This record gives sequence, C-alpha cells and structure tokens, in this order.
Amino acid sequence: MNAGRFASAERKSIVYFIIIGCFALLGFRLFQMQILNQTKYKEKAAENAIKPIEITPLRGVFYDRNMNVVVSNVPAYTLRITPAEYDTSLNGIIETVIGEDNGYIDKILKENRIYSKYIPIRIKRDIDFKAVSWLEENSEHLPGVDYIVEMQRGYPAGIRGSHMFGYVREITPKLLEKHKNYYKPGDMIGYSGIEKAYEKFLRGEKGYKYVLVDSRRREIGSFKDGAEDIPAIKGNDLVLGIDSDVQRVAEEGLQGKRGAAVAMDPKTGEILALASAPDFDLNQFAYVTSRDYLMKLYSDPDKPFFNRVTSAALPPGSTFKIMEAVAALDQHDVTTSFTITCRGGQTFYGRYFKCDAAHGTLNIVHAIEHSCNVFFYNLIYKIGMSEWNVYAKRFGFGRKTNIDIDDESTGFIPSDAYYQKIYGPEWPKSIMASLGIGQGEVSVTPIQLVQYCSLIANDGVTYTPHLVRGYLTNKDKKLVPFSYKQINTGVSKDIFDIVKQGMFLVVNGSGTAAGIKDKDIQIAGKTGTAQNPHGKDHAWFIGFAPFDNPQIAVAVLVENVGFGATYAAPIAKKMIEAYLEKDKLKDLEKNNRIELPKNLIGETGAR
Amino acid sequence: MRVDYKINDRFDFGIFIPAAILFCIGLAAIYSSTLNNPHAEGNFQKQVIWGIGSFVVFFIIYSLPTNVFKSVSIPSYLISLLLLVAVLVIGRRVNGAKSWFGFSGIGFQPSELANITTVLAMSVFLSRKKIDINSLRDIVIALAIGLLPVALILLEPNVGSTFIYVSIILALLFWRGISLFGLFIVLSPPLIAVASLFGFLYFLIFLGLVIILLVLFKKDIIYSASIFAVDLAAGFFTSYVFHALKPHQQARILSFVNPSTDPLGAGYNSIQAKVAIGSGGLLGKGFLSGSQTQLQFIPEQWTDFIFCVIGEEFGFIGTLITISLFFYLFYRIYKLAFSAKDEFISLMLIGILAILFSYFIINTGMVVGILPVVGLPLPLVSYGGSSLFANLIMLGIASNIYRTRKNYT
Repeated sequence: MNAGRFASAERKSIVYFIIIGCFALLGFRLFQMQILNQTKYKEKAAENAIKPIEITPLRGVFYDRNMNVVVSNVPAYTLRITPAEYDTSLNGIIETVIGEDNGYIDKILKENRIYSKYIPIRIKRDIDFKAVSWLEENSEHLPGVDYIVEMQRGYPAGIRGSHMFGYVREITPKLLEKHKNYYKPGDMIGYSGIEKAYEKFLRGEKGYKYVLVDSRRREIGSFKDGAEDIPAIKGNDLVLGIDSDVQRVAEEGLQGKRGAAVAMDPKTGEILALASAPDFDLNQFAYVTSRDYLMKLYSDPDKPFFNRVTSAALPPGSTFKIMEAVAALDQHDVTTSFTITCRGGQTFYGRYFKCDAAHGTLNIVHAIEHSCNVFFYNLIYKIGMSEWNVYAKRFGFGRKTNIDIDDESTGFIPSDAYYQKIYGPEWPKSIMASLGIGQGEVSVTPIQLVQYCSLIANDGVTYTPHLVRGYLTNKDKKLVPFSYKQINTGVSKDIFDIVKQGMFLVVNGSGTAAGIKDKDIQIAGKTGTAQNPHGKDHAWFIGFAPFDNPQIAVAVLVENVGFGATYAAPIAKKMIEAYLEKDKLKDLEKNNRIELPKNLIGETGAR
Repeated sequence: MRVDYKINDRFDFGIFIPAAILFCIGLAAIYSSTLNNPHAEGNFQKQVIWGIGSFVVFFIIYSLPTNVFKSVSIPSYLISLLLLVAVLVIGRRVNGAKSWFGFSGIGFQPSELANITTVLAMSVFLSRKKIDINSLRDIVIALAIGLLPVALILLEPNVGSTFIYVSIILALLFWRGISLFGLFIVLSPPLIAVASLFGFLYFLIFLGLVIILLVLFKKDIIYSASIFAVDLAAGFFTSYVFHALKPHQQARILSFVNPSTDPLGAGYNSIQAKVAIGSGGLLGKGFLSGSQTQLQFIPEQWTDFIFCVIGEEFGFIGTLITISLFFYLFYRIYKLAFSAKDEFISLMLIGILAILFSYFIINTGMVVGILPVVGLPLPLVSYGGSSLFANLIMLGIASNIYRTRKNYT
C-alpha cells in the first residue's frame, strides 16, 4: 500500500470508494425504508397520530300505543376537568358549586391518573343548571374546567313504569366480559326491563370520529376534516302496547300499597299497563344513581325492585274457579243443568270445609256469580287431580308466560305425583278441596292471571303477553312489528260463553264484585282471595270489558289487605274505564275527581 | 461568456451551490418542525440570522490569502484548547453536557471549531519535511495533537464529537501514508474499546485477534508487548469511562448494542425517526403535513433529527436529492484534495472532508437506524448556529483553495 508515500493513488481510490460505499449503503437503506417497507411505517405513523374517538349513539325512545313518547332522551350537563390545565386550588369552590364533599374532585382525579393529563375527566354527571351558569360566568378563571352535554333518559308522560321500562347503567365488569366485542368500560347498557330486553335495538351503532393527536395524546384537530369519520347510528325507537292512561291509573291505584296491576289486550296479547308497587323513581337512575337512594331501595322490606307482576307467585284463590268450571264443562259430564246444593259447608275425606254462606241449590253460572266454595269442592273431585292439572296448564299456569322482560317465576300447579312424593301413594285427598278453591300449594303470578283472563275473554285464544309491539325504522319511521306466539286452550266457544255468563253476574248480578258495576261499560270479572298464613289475605281481581266484545283484560293483586272485591276490583275498574272511556277520563281529570266515590268501595263486601 | 468563465475559474459553484441549497432545505425543515412548537419559537429566525452571518464569514475566508491557514494553525489550535478548558469551567450545561458558551441568548459550542483547528495543527505537523510517518515517535505526536481535544471534550462529556476526531486522525494518517502496522497500532485500541462495550467475551476475542496480528507482523517482542499493553488498557479504560457516563448516555450506547433493552427510552427516538422516514414513502406527505413531525413525536427534531423531516415530508425523492447534494459537495472537496500537490493543503482538505463526511454519515446513519443515537447534527441542515458557522468556515477554506488552486496543483 505504498507505505510512507504521501496520498498514493491507491489510497486516494480507497478513500473514494469508502465515500461511495457509505453513500450506496445509505441510499439502499433509504430505498428499503421509504419504498420497500413504506406500508409498514405508514401504518405505524397512522397508529401514532390518529386516535379514534367513540361517538355514543342516541338511544331509541319508547312510544306508547297512542304514539306518545313515554321514555325519551334529555340533555344533561357533565362537568369535566382536564388535569394538564387545571389548578387544584379550585377544588374547594367547584365542590361547593356542584354540591359535593371536600376531597371529591381530588379522589376522581387520582383514580384517573393513569390516563394522559390532556384527556378530560368526567367529574360529575347531571349537574344542575345553576352550576352550569356559574361555570359559564367564571369560565375565564377556571382553566381546564368545562362541561359537555350528554343524553340521559327522561320520562315525559307522567308515568313511572319502573319495572317495565327498566333503566340503563354503566356496564359491570361481569357483563363486559360477556359482551366485550361491542362494549367498552364506561359504556351504558340496558340493565333491567325493556331497556335490557331490547338493548340490541335500542343501543344503535357506535360511530367513530378520528382526531389527530400529538406524542402526548393531546388532541390537535380532526383527521382529514372528518372525511373518514363514521357517524353513529341512532338506536331504534320502540312502540309499546302500553296505554299511558291505563298505566297512570294503575300506578295511582297501587300507591301506598303492595301489589300488582296488569292489563292486556286479549285479542293481541299486548300489555296495556304493568304496574308493581312499591316501585322506584327511574329519574334517579337516568344516568348515575346516588348511593343513598340505592341503599334505601335495597334495604326496604317491601322490595321495590321486585316486579310483582311477573314474579309474585301466590295462590290464585277463587279466580281459579273459572278454570275448573271450563274443565268440568269440557269433560261433558257437567252442564248448566248440573246443580249442587250448598248448605254452608261440606265434609270431604273426614275434613269439614266451609262456604261463606248457605247458597242453596246452584248451577255452574250462579256458582261462579256467588263464588260458592261448596260447588267447587265437589267439582274438583269430579274433574279429578290429573285433569285439573292438565287444564291449569292449558291456561298457561305452572310455566313462564315468556313476556318480553326478564325475571319471571313459573308459579306452581301441584300434581298427583307431587303429593305422592310428600305424603306417599295414599295422600290425603282432602287436600284437593282446598285446591278446588285455589288455595294451598297452588301458586300463580299476576301476568299468568291476566293471560288466563284474556284466554277466557277471547274464547280460549290469545297471544303471548308482550310489552313491545315492534320497532320503528330509522329511515321512514315505519313500524316493524315483532311476532308473538298464539296460545290456544283448545276449548270451544260455547263453554266460554257459559263461564263468562257467570263472570258477568259477578259484577252485574248479585255477585262478589257488584260494587264496581259500571253504567256505561259491561264489565265481567272474578274476585279472589289468597289465604296468607303470615298475615292478612291477598286480594285478587281479574276482569275484562266490554262483555260482548272484550278489549281489555285486567288482573290486580293487592297484598295483605283482605277481600279481593274491596281493594283489587276498584283499581281494575279504573283501569278499564281509563282504556274504554278516554273522554270520560279527560272530564274527570278536568274536574280533578280521579278518585272513585268512597261509598262505592264501601258497598263491596262479599266475596 | 468570458466573464462566466472567469467567475467559474475563481469561485467553485460546485461547493457553494450545493451548500446554499442544503442550507435552504434545512431552513424549510426547521420551519416545518418548529411550527406550533412553543419550545422552539424563533428558531427559524435565529437560523436565518446565523446563516447570513456564516455566509459572510464564508466569503471572508474565501478571499483570505491561502498561506494564512498554515500560519494560524498552531495558534488557533492552542486557543481552541484554551476554549475547551474554559467551557468546562464557565460553560453552560445543555442536556447534561457542559459544552456551551452562552452570550446573551446565543449559544456557542467551542468543540465545533476545535475540530477545524485540530485538522490545521495535524496537517501542519504531518506535512513537515522531516517526518517519518512510520516512526512510533511521530505517530504518537500526531495522535497526541488529535487526542488532546478529545480528552477535554470527553470531560464535558460529549461522546458524539469524539467520533469526529477519530475520523480526522484516521483520515489524515491514512492520507499521509501510514503503514498497515502503524494503522494497526492506531486502530487496535479504539476497536478493543468498542468491543469491550459489547461484553467481556467480545473483548477477549478482539484481544486474541490483536495477539495473532502482532505475531504476524513479526516486530520485536518489547514493541509488540507494549502495543498489547496499550490495547489492554484501552479496553479497561473504556469500561471505566462507560461507567462514569451519565445514565442517559449509557442508555444510548446500550440501546444500539441491543435495541430492545429500552424501547421507550433511548430507543424511542430511533423508532420514531424510522417511522417518520419510512412513512414518507416515495413522494412524502407534503410540506408541513408530516404527522410524525407536526405532532412532535421526535423531541428536538430540528437539531439532530432534521433528516426525518425531509424524509417524512418530501419522501424518498427528498432524501435522494439531499444525499446527492452532499455527495457532490464531498466529491468537489475530494477532487481538490486529490489534485493538490501541497501536502499541507491536501491534508487540510482531507481533514475537512473527514469532518463533514463523518458528521453526515453518523447523523444520517443514526436517523435511519444503522448507527447508534449520538447527538451529532447534519452539516448545513440541522438547526444550530455554531455548527453552521463551523461548516461554512470549512467550505470557505475549500473555496479559498479552489480560488488559488493553480499555485498548489
């Protein structure tokens, strides 16, 4: 290498080729990065710089059967703080304005410390308007504090519908695990009632807004002016079968009591009203629920969260006699000319069973009218245990009705096998006499009873009880109805004509609910009293109207009050009137006389 | 076209025009990367002012009599050593290194000038008539001239700049005609030093290679043993220096040795820089439209990572034009050094080329991820007054020699 010589030609070439080589290497590396692997790097750059922000879609609203909005979306103000710009010395004054304790803001900020300081944190949802105007006035002294408008549920129709409508709440970790393909922590989800059952229709589809963020995840602006954004799709609105007027009188009728009131269109299976008392205020659940309110509800011995319409399983009492009458008539060994003489009581299998009075000789129609126990003691022995069980099941007892909201109990229809299991093969047949008047081990729910009443009213055919008729399309607001299963007892119309005659006389004859006789509407019904070993009896009433063309079937339960006719029947009457006499109801409202005259209630004494 | 011929003959547009274009590309990239960044407000204007001043100095140097460079070489070298000592005492600490003088808001790094004066001083020494480049004594003196500023710079500590001095020393000794064995004496300690950073095993392997080569060169035993001792010392000294480094500097070195050790620390800049360049594609995302740049994913991008801005916003075309301009600039300086008959002039030009080229290749190499992240600017393009000033002094010297080349070729 010509050692010792100054800048030999060899060495000049070596220097030259070192430079060329370095440039070639650099050029190749740039070609590799910018041409060959550009897609990989472009994806990484996009991941870095573009952040998708979820847009929560508007939840579908609920309409009642007359297309009045009963559950809506209303704007509410949410206070937010961006920690990077916020001065914690403001904590005290803001806590005072939003009505929270000292340390409230500090706690929330600490919980959210894992996120970027440039992301606003929700401090309190649904702040009142006074706080909003204070924020507005003092905004220049409140760096990093702002508020946004978020939607929460509103109930504009003046009906509570607590158990029926249900509520939404922030998704729980357990639910999140189950539905993690759609929901993210902090999302709201339908948690009970219709909100839960129709979540998939109501929630809509999330949208995404793409924003540019810098290396600290701070938002800089929109990406491509929003050209790539995916708009959120509003949830579908639901149309319910509910009639707000009927619902309102049902809720008012149950106020201060424990019980249930449910009305149904017997021709379609649509629920017209569904009320359970005590209930709770859905407005308290609109977005965030105060701890105190929740604790109060949970500790209430009357269990306000318990939906009595679908879950209270109690003996049906005398309302069950209609089913037995149908079973007896359908077996052809009993006709209207079949009579039994009631002397105020009778002994069966060594046990004496009372009646309320000595009704004398009665056929099946008048036995229903007077709710004669002796007649039906005899009838169940005539039908036999297995037929009794079969007919009870034909009317939908002993299983869920499959109404479109959750948490339904099946009730219980005892069978021969059941008693054999308890008492052995020679079980005391005297038990059957109790079952004959709907007492003992038999239990039913109010929703089963209204389905039963609808089957009677509509001559043995109706549809699965349901709250929701269908949903409205977003585009042209067309109703897309849901289909529901038909229920058929397989019993002929002339048999129902006979029992309905008896139910007509219950109200319009000298029967147990003569007190609710209406001069304009022909109501038919049946009272019932469920014996309660723990206290006063539970009152039942089932009924339908108008008699010759039934449009509404009702079941009412009032717990721990005594006779059915006294407490349950008047509520049922008000519901029927609210449905069939809209004009009259409006007049009544005008005159502020919604309560029925006191003496009318007083008159109804007998069972 | 007589006038044109005359100007061409006296002024090398082949140096001036690429330099001016690179400076303008740098201004555009600085503007883009400092836009909307409150920490870099006014940097663009500062760079314009420094640029005007530096080009004035370029023309002053260009018009000086050429023999000035030889006469100022030793005094200027001594002055710069003094400045390097002074900066350790009264300097301003920036990013953990005490390497800046601050004059009312304007920072100045004496190490940027010291590498020029080192080139001058070494060139003077190596171009002496009586020198024997293969005598150990002269090699040691040459090394001492080159390594004295390195020792002072390492105290700051400023690791990146030492690479420049290593390349100056190697280039000048090589150009002067050092023998292979001499080169081996010079090169083996730094190679052992780097190997020791990779671990004890590599250190032993390289030490073994040194022994084999020493045997092959067949020099006398004391001579060989002392070289071996120096290499051994270099290895231990390096690991001592490494442990004396600031943690962020250690991390930078380690993240190159093993990039996965610290993906969010020192490796972060390197990853984001690669993403910026790669995502530029063929044509780039457009001026002021690079997401990595505009959203400030790379800290202080206008200094050492300025090449990312070009890569991201102007694409492969932009980077290709930029490196082509550099190549042409280097080619012109190389050609001058190639044809210069005066050994001092030739060595000085090669030293200048070594400085500019090593800045260029270390900077671009670290930005594209083939070299470790050491904080060195891209000549003419990166934001930074003293760097630009020093670069234009060097180009001024090269242009000056072009003007009077007929006296030396």
